[in-house]
Amino acid sequence: MSRVLPRSPWTWLVVAFWVVLLLFPVASSDLFFQNMIILSLVFAIGAVSLNIISGYGGYVSLGQSAFLGIGAYTVGLLSIRVDVSPFVFVPLAGVVGAAFATLLGVIAMRTRGHAFVILTIAFLLLTQLVLLNWPSFTQGSKGLSLPLALFDPSIQNWPFYYALAALLALSVLMSWRIRRTKLGMGLIAMREDEDKAATVGVSTPTYKILGFVASAVFLSMAGGVYAYYLNFIDPRGMFDIVISVQIVLSMLLGGRATLWGPVLGAFIIEPLNEFANQSLGGGNSRLLIFGGLMALVVMFMPQGIVPFAGELLEKRRRRGQDAIVGARVERPLVIREREDAPVGHEVQPGRALLDVRAIEKRFGGVRAVDGCSFVVPEGSITALIGPNGSGKTTAFNLIDGMMRPDAGEVWFDGRRVDGLRPWRRAHLGIGRTFQITRLFREMTVLENVVAPLRSFSWRQLNADAVSGPEAARAEELLEFVGMRRYRDEKARALSYGQQKLVELAQVLMLDPKLILLDEPAGGINPTAIERMGEMIRRLNRQGTTFLIVEHNMPFVLGLCDPVLVLARGTCICEGGPEVVQQDPRVLDAYLGEDFVLEEVGV
Amino acid sequence: MTEFAQAIILGLLIGGVYALMASGLSLIFGVMNVINTAHGAFLILSAFLTYSIWTATGLDPLVAILITTPAMFGFGWLLYSGSIRRIREAPAAASVLLTFSLALVLEGLMGLIWGNTSHAVRPAYFNQSFTVGDLFLPKAQVYGCLVAIAVLVALWLFLARTWTGRAIRASAVNPQGARLVGVNVAAVATMTFAIGVATTGAGGSIVGVLYPFLPGSHYLWISRLLGIIVLGGMGSLPGAVVGALLIGVGESLTSTYISPQWTTAVPYVVIFLVLLGRPQGLLGARLREDVAAV
Amino acid sequence: MRRLRWCAPALAAAALLAAGCGGSDNGGGSGSDSSKPIRIGASLPLTGDFSEPGKAAQQGYQVWQKMVNDQGGLLGRKVQVVVRDDASDQNTVVADYNALISRQKVDMLLGTFSSLLNLPASTVAERNRKLYVEPAGGAPEIFDRGYKHIFFAQQATADHQGDVFAQYILGLPPSERPKTAAYPSLDDPFALPVLQGLREKFEKAGIKTVYTTKYASENTNFDSIANAVKAANPDILMHGATFADGVNFVRALDKVGYKPKYFFQTSAPSFADQYSKGIGVENTEGTFYAVSWDAKAQTPGNAAFVKQFNQMFGAGEPAEDAADAFAAAQVMQAAVKAVGGIDDQTKLADWIRSHSVNTILGPLRWDKTGAPQGQFLIGQWQSGKSQIVLPKAAATSQTIVKKNAGA
Repeated sequence: MSRVLPRSPWTWLVVAFWVVLLLFPVASSDLFFQNMIILSLVFAIGAVSLNIISGYGGYVSLGQSAFLGIGAYTVGLLSIRVDVSPFVFVPLAGVVGAAFATLLGVIAMRTRGHAFVILTIAFLLLTQLVLLNWPSFTQGSKGLSLPLALFDPSIQNWPFYYALAALLALSVLMSWRIRRTKLGMGLIAMREDEDKAATVGVSTPTYKILGFVASAVFLSMAGGVYAYYLNFIDPRGMFDIVISVQIVLSMLLGGRATLWGPVLGAFIIEPLNEFANQSLGGGNSRLLIFGGLMALVVMFMPQGIVPFAGELLEKRRRRGQDAIVGARVERPLVIREREDAPVGHEVQPGRALLDVRAIEKRFGGVRAVDGCSFVVPEGSITALIGPNGSGKTTAFNLIDGMMRPDAGEVWFDGRRVDGLRPWRRAHLGIGRTFQITRLFREMTVLENVVAPLRSFSWRQLNADAVSGPEAARAEELLEFVGMRRYRDEKARALSYGQQKLVELAQVLMLDPKLILLDEPAGGINPTAIERMGEMIRRLNRQGTTFLIVEHNMPFVLGLCDPVLVLARGTCICEGGPEVVQQDPRVLDAYLGEDFVLEEVGV
Repeated sequence: MTEFAQAIILGLLIGGVYALMASGLSLIFGVMNVINTAHGAFLILSAFLTYSIWTATGLDPLVAILITTPAMFGFGWLLYSGSIRRIREAPAAASVLLTFSLALVLEGLMGLIWGNTSHAVRPAYFNQSFTVGDLFLPKAQVYGCLVAIAVLVALWLFLARTWTGRAIRASAVNPQGARLVGVNVAAVATMTFAIGVATTGAGGSIVGVLYPFLPGSHYLWISRLLGIIVLGGMGSLPGAVVGALLIGVGESLTSTYISPQWTTAVPYVVIFLVLLGRPQGLLGARLREDVAAV
Repeated sequence: MRRLRWCAPALAAAALLAAGCGGSDNGGGSGSDSSKPIRIGASLPLTGDFSEPGKAAQQGYQVWQKMVNDQGGLLGRKVQVVVRDDASDQNTVVADYNALISRQKVDMLLGTFSSLLNLPASTVAERNRKLYVEPAGGAPEIFDRGYKHIFFAQQATADHQGDVFAQYILGLPPSERPKTAAYPSLDDPFALPVLQGLREKFEKAGIKTVYTTKYASENTNFDSIANAVKAANPDILMHGATFADGVNFVRALDKVGYKPKYFFQTSAPSFADQYSKGIGVENTEGTFYAVSWDAKAQTPGNAAFVKQFNQMFGAGEPAEDAADAFAAAQVMQAAVKAVGGIDDQTKLADWIRSHSVNTILGPLRWDKTGAPQGQFLIGQWQSGKSQIVLPKAAATSQTIVKKNAGA
């Protein structure tokens, strides 16, 4: 936002929207339309807020109207007991909403996908029930009447109207801000691939709770204002699940994970709602329209209007152009030296950085890892080889935290880590790539590299991801792996080899002490393999330890020392490359005992 | 003591009926990984159909099951082919949203066709009870429970003894493996959904006799059914039966000893506790950890 | 791609502009122009949960409109009732009244059906300082808010509807008077206050409460409640209901095999044939209920109302809600006639507060909050027909069946 006067025509349209919105009550005294806009604002705030946990974070919630109701009741209950303008209590409504959101986030920590949606429905309906059945506190089904606001008839709706407009502005601002920070990147990463996000340092429970709180605060405040406007609230009206549906529909229709999509959706759906109620015969037609529309959107246009239209226009703009991802890898092979060498990776050669002690992992009757022990010396490039099914990937999963061992211990850098969650291990300095690359498909290459969190701190979460030091660092890492010019491409558009490079850059963002590479040379062309080897050597010189699973023997034997051999879930041999090549147990594991090798050490 | 025994009896009787409806939901989830939040709406639709049949011809609602079950089977087949099939590849939450929107559409349609007032099917035995000592067993509940058990047994036999049933179970356990042995998994999915919806045909006819209903009643039913399958273990048919009986008795005891006001809370509380403490439910399979989330 | 995000607010802005400028409002305000009709606006639940009473209320307003116009109109001008559908939804009813006031520019307002809808709707009226007479919203909370323009056109608020019945019961000789009572009720802003009003009076007079409960409207399993009532075995059973749950509760009592000595139920028994068909005629005997109106009552204008109703809508008794709506319109009409103008609605409200109005429900008068100060009628089912039994002056049957059937 460094330009002073916006040049883009689209920015002018945003300005136009706000001008019309803010001037409407002054220009027109039409109460009907003021009322409709007030309702649309409430839904817009709801949709923009929902977008943070559902659009960015991928956790679809049908419980949003609970926060509307919680805010409404906070203001309502306080205003009948304390004789002060209810507007005073609106910020408090936000606090109470945030508290409930935190509670919900804590409860929902372990649930995902449809279990989560069910939980939000249960949360909404249970809250409604509790309020209904607690008449001494909330007056139950009779509802609550707030003190009547008697403003001058010519401006009677203005305080509510402008309060809600302000809340919309604030929530859009918050959405914009979050999207640009590492918090936002982490939320989107969680949506794309939650387990992978955990391995790059995104502490998912915390992000979830933060996402929830963000999605509740302004909506609760809007609920408070709305309660004062309506002057009467009751549990059935305020905690109606169809309101939640309307909010979700607004977000989906307009475009989830976009900034203004939810606003557009809300301003389409609410007038449509009014129209259905008035002209098409009431409640039933409203259900038909909402239900039908949501079904159509989910089936045919799940990303919503704004992205859909955006893609169409983008396709037209790019027609005839070559996609950048098909371009050749640049020659000659140049790897720039990284300017900032990793800090604090003092290497004590010979010290065991990773110490795996007798770990076991069973899947039903299958013992994938069976009493496996090995040591990775600090500063080394260690190989982990073995025939298919020997448990190498499972071992990786046990080391980086994607699985818990059934027995045994894992020690890293002098501390025991097998009980820690994946992001804790990432913060301690373990990074890992995947055999089948796992990037965050809908994020750009740069965003993919900015998403990882080196260590948990509020400043990091709030750090600008699109520009600033984090982004600069990410670009530099992309430069290192040679993928810099793809920075704005979506990850899903890349080829396999390109994805591997980006994945490596992701891992490097963590500043890890130990990098686990799962088949780095697999499925890429010889030039790329060479480059990969060169990068590994460079990084190793700067102090990073490697543990590499690989089947490409020349690559391994030329690069790694020591070599660990895994067979049937246990480590059967370790030593230098020449030793391992000749060991009969190794040959037996790979080839079987009835195979006689003509030549040894190819 | 009589009050307690009575509450238990009532709970078990109604639990049997819940079990029938929950089994359909559980089957659909087990095979297709789709949470059919429109299950309650299908139930109410079947109840309305039963009501219309009863007012037009006087046919006993429990006999009308022979009509509503195939009708709902066909309806489920059409619905699946037309809409749900499209989102098989989409993330899990999409199925919840899509089926929920179908529930809303159904609610609106039922309201337009039959109106938003309460309806009930009232055959002659509606007001009568069997008496066993001090206990009374409402006839409608007993007949309903017996019919539910009969249909459940039929369903079980179908799944265990027929080729289609085995194909369904195979697809639930391992779709790729099933494909490899010649199972047309796509057709099986359609069949499973249709069978699941068919159970609401029978269930709805029974419900029409037991409870008054209106289009908006589906929320109550789907909450209850979700609570049941979450408790029993999503995807487990025996779990659905166990969960149904437990929730039936739980509701009955809550109504008698706490207050009828809180009966509707029972499924929600169950959902919270189970998802927090033991997400796989009582009899559900433990989720495999090595299944990648990609 | 980023650009496209901005087109969203553009579209929204365009939509707003188009709506604001292009929207036509039908009918200008007539003010004091004596050649134009007086337009009276109301929102009613013509669809949704309350659609049956909503449609009945619409009929009541329409009968009133016809009768007034046939007799020369109001203040020499024809009256025109404009009705919008609020679909039994609170947000819609607010939008409706806003539309009636600012778009359709009606001169007067009439209320909607049910307390839950009248509560937010009356706020709109009060803010715009318009008279708001409502036919069906008896929750006492409506009148607790210090509003100056709202009036309820029935004889009493919900908490006083059972007063006459309480008087009767407490006036029975000690051998006949019930000693224990049970109060199961729907958790509803109308049904609950009726029972609470009765309970206060009974407990004060020494009738012991042996069972009380509330249930949500979705809860439809009455067997456990009937079971509990049977175990408590009260002499008099008071049930707060609307319609469906009233019917189902009686049937559940049947299943359990329990009949109380005295049975009072709100709302449901006033539904005539629907009620008797629903529970079986033999089960109706002796059931008491409170009602605001009866077709056979000898109140001024009642016979003419019934006749006109039958002419317009066919044979059969008008529903109570139609009569209540008619009465609400009568109250408004009386105020306008007395004050002689429609511009200062606060003056109209003041007039109503200090006068009594004769309606087909009988004479109505109000306290300063707008809550009415009259007496409800008490009905009882006798030999398969519903009759008014109290107060004696309005009774259509002079006997009161002392014990409930089969008790």
